[in-house]
Amino acid sequence: MKITAKYILLVCVALFGTFALALAQDANFKVPEYEKFTLPNGLTVYLMAQREVPTISVSAVVPAGAIYDGEKSGLAALTASGLQYGTLSYAKTQIEEELDFIGATLNTYASKESAGLSAKFANKDQDIVFPIIKEVLTAPIFDEEEFAKEQKRVLSGLERAKESPRSVINSYWDKFIFGDHVYGNAVSGSPSTVTTFTADDLRSFYKANYSPSGSAIAIVGDFDAAKMKNKISELFIAWEKPAADQHNIVSEAVPTLDHSRVLLVNKEDARETTFLIGGLGVRRDNPDYVAIQVVNTVFGGRFTSWLNDELRVNSGLTYGANSRFSPLKNAGTFAISTFTANSTTGAAIDLALSVLNKLHQTGIDEETLTSAKNYVKGQFPPNYETSGQLAGLLTQMFWYDFDESYINNFQSNVEGMTTEKAADIVEKYFPKDNIQFLLIGKAEEIRPIASKLGNVIEKDIKADGF
Amino acid sequence: MPKDPVYFTVVKIRTNIKTTILHLKTNYILLMKKILYLLYVCICMPVMAQIQSDDVQSFTLQNGMKFLVMEDSSIPNANMYIFYKVGSRNEHPGITGLSHFFEHMMFNGSEKYGPKEFDRVMEFNGGANNAYTTQNVTVYTNWFPVSAMEKIFDLESDRIGHLTIDSAMVESERGVVLSERSTGLENSPWRMLGEAVNATAFQEHPYHWSVIGYESDIKNWTKQDLETYFQTYYAPNNALVVISGDVKTSEVKRLAKKYMEPIPSSKEPKTVHLIEPEQTGERRITVQREVASPYMMIAYHTPDTRHDDYYALDILSSVLSSGNTSRLYSALVDQKQLATSVFTSFGESFDPNLFEIYAVSAKGIEEDVLEKAIYEELEKIKAEGITERELQKIKNQKLMEFYNQIETINGKSNNIGTYELFFGDYKKMFDAPAEYEKVSMADVSRVAKEYFKKSNRTVGILKANVED
Repeated sequence: MKITAKYILLVCVALFGTFALALAQDANFKVPEYEKFTLPNGLTVYLMAQREVPTISVSAVVPAGAIYDGEKSGLAALTASGLQYGTLSYAKTQIEEELDFIGATLNTYASKESAGLSAKFANKDQDIVFPIIKEVLTAPIFDEEEFAKEQKRVLSGLERAKESPRSVINSYWDKFIFGDHVYGNAVSGSPSTVTTFTADDLRSFYKANYSPSGSAIAIVGDFDAAKMKNKISELFIAWEKPAADQHNIVSEAVPTLDHSRVLLVNKEDARETTFLIGGLGVRRDNPDYVAIQVVNTVFGGRFTSWLNDELRVNSGLTYGANSRFSPLKNAGTFAISTFTANSTTGAAIDLALSVLNKLHQTGIDEETLTSAKNYVKGQFPPNYETSGQLAGLLTQMFWYDFDESYINNFQSNVEGMTTEKAADIVEKYFPKDNIQFLLIGKAEEIRPIASKLGNVIEKDIKADGF
Repeated sequence: MPKDPVYFTVVKIRTNIKTTILHLKTNYILLMKKILYLLYVCICMPVMAQIQSDDVQSFTLQNGMKFLVMEDSSIPNANMYIFYKVGSRNEHPGITGLSHFFEHMMFNGSEKYGPKEFDRVMEFNGGANNAYTTQNVTVYTNWFPVSAMEKIFDLESDRIGHLTIDSAMVESERGVVLSERSTGLENSPWRMLGEAVNATAFQEHPYHWSVIGYESDIKNWTKQDLETYFQTYYAPNNALVVISGDVKTSEVKRLAKKYMEPIPSSKEPKTVHLIEPEQTGERRITVQREVASPYMMIAYHTPDTRHDDYYALDILSSVLSSGNTSRLYSALVDQKQLATSVFTSFGESFDPNLFEIYAVSAKGIEEDVLEKAIYEELEKIKAEGITERELQKIKNQKLMEFYNQIETINGKSNNIGTYELFFGDYKKMFDAPAEYEKVSMADVSRVAKEYFKKSNRTVGILKANVED
């Protein structure tokens, strides 16, 4: 279940990495040197030269995630992939032929809050790739024919995703926890909305949300920084700001969870129950963020975590159990995650709850805390080993508004953890009452278990949306 | 089959060992900096200053345990990959899945470090681990801050030398593995279809059964089966250790002598003598599952990794499915819109194995229409070959794959081990650029003609309605 640890590191912590560990080894460690500047149109640029291999990695972040979908669930995601379906100067096939031939990769995607671009290519090919990246970000045309093909593929994909509980459970969870808040929006969208989209919807979404002023691009790899600065400035200087400012829609309060609820999603042919237990978590800028990671490492963030030890090692109920905090800018969720055979669903849920109870009742002792600290520090560096990981770090810094001082203080934050502090963290951030349950499985068999946990809402996995 | 559910071991390692049907990674040949050097020369690119010719150090202990070490101080971490030359191909009906189950039991206690202690001690020291089992090998992977290396040696040597098989742990681990088997089947149609195709394509060779094994075997093997298995296969002379990271080879050698050398060697395990007879006619298999549209696999018998056709087949696999401009993606997904996804797999293997094509039908498309369209693309390559630009494209893509691999210490260890085991010598990595260069357009169409024959294929279809 190192899943959890690694998963959390990648998804949430995605920040301290190499630096943190290096700090542990060397008190004078500094974040690798990088340059940050802003173009007149507001685009923020990060440059970091790393010369281990002759490649360049690019990461960009744009404020155009699923929170801006409105009624059109899935529009951010289709717009992001649509960026590559032709631009002012390149047809879709041209982009693909140019990039495939040189072994370059280019991905554009949407997440909950933002849209992103990542690319990797040999440094000798930069004059082929950068003009394409520029056009993809600033001059997409959303070709009608290509859009129609993509729309069909997406619709099939949405249907197929429901065949695997693991691939849809987080969309159900966010909707269940955040309700009508925009954080409840499913990035993937749903068939009933996606089927109504036209290429014009993508164009409108692009026009409203793809703004240089809220965006950043990070370039890490083997290049000359001064030349790169000129090149990037020239390329992106003409990216125009949208006429209207984006409306800040995430600041609304998320729902209060004042009683236990159960969402039971029926999957008729399920051989096991896949479930999440938890509730609201924390914002990414929570000052206790590092401490929360250390405590979660003990609870459900590594193989010897209490959850995995009880549910897997001691009882053999599951292949794995973990817990995670998923923070966003203005709110977040916390979830215990595992799966077990239909017949052992009740036992596994009871056991997970008893482990959560133990966390509250007995707390974390000195030795366990020391182990967690060592583990968190020891496992950081490989997360920031490649140029792609470092480019991702820089855009995360931009998006969540922190700088290298945060990274440089990481070791002392971990080291500063005490058992008293751990107890405070447990009390403050790990749910005790009003716990939320999401179960995907065979309703007929697990309904009696669900009804004992709280008010049950039932859905069928084949029904539209989440 | 990994010890843990792992989206995570493969975050950066693109396993180029065919693990399970779920772990379909393109078949990368991973090279070291030395190879880069050679490739650079081939492609007339500037040579990087930091490329050296003797990056991999090798030594063998008196008990036959071989070590390969790659020093790399880019991060203050290191890894230790232990490859045991045993996998599901060494099993027989009655103990199918035992290699994988045994992989789990290696974490359940030994003489000095009792049940749970292996993981507890490793994590206390800042380390993490995982393991996976394939048809051919069982691999244990440790990732740690370099300061923990001696502890890692201590832990590994204790379980290699003095494993204890506790009856209670065997019972709880059965539950874990049954859950692992079940969750794979629940979440991936490919797992179910892949097992059926392998069982059909192989009738005598042990690749017939899946790595995770039959459910009835998982429930029935005994402690005695486990003990016999341990004595037979878990010996230092049946293992390869690869270490990469911020280490000094001299220190690795000192620790290897101290911890590993006292472990006695065993007699060589019996070789796998089973040979799959030549397939003489097409085989078809249908599997029922509630899916929106049919899933398809087409598998052709191909030779083992050391065969001369390996590189041409590897390039053929990329021509067919690497990138949106690849033959199958371009024709089936983009132009004809018969499939929503398509990919191929051709992995390293000790014995002759399968070249597999996977496709998912687009909504409303009958699987036979899709199947016919796939054959049309294969026939085109057989009849007309590939273009020079296509061949150059694949070579360029390989170079970028190499860069991605050598960027991490895990990629390095994984590939050094893969070459040593599957190609017979880690030094063969350095021949790979020349091997790829040697492949001509004619070679690619020749292997397509040789292996993509109707009589040599097994076709698997997974769909909801199997009664029509």
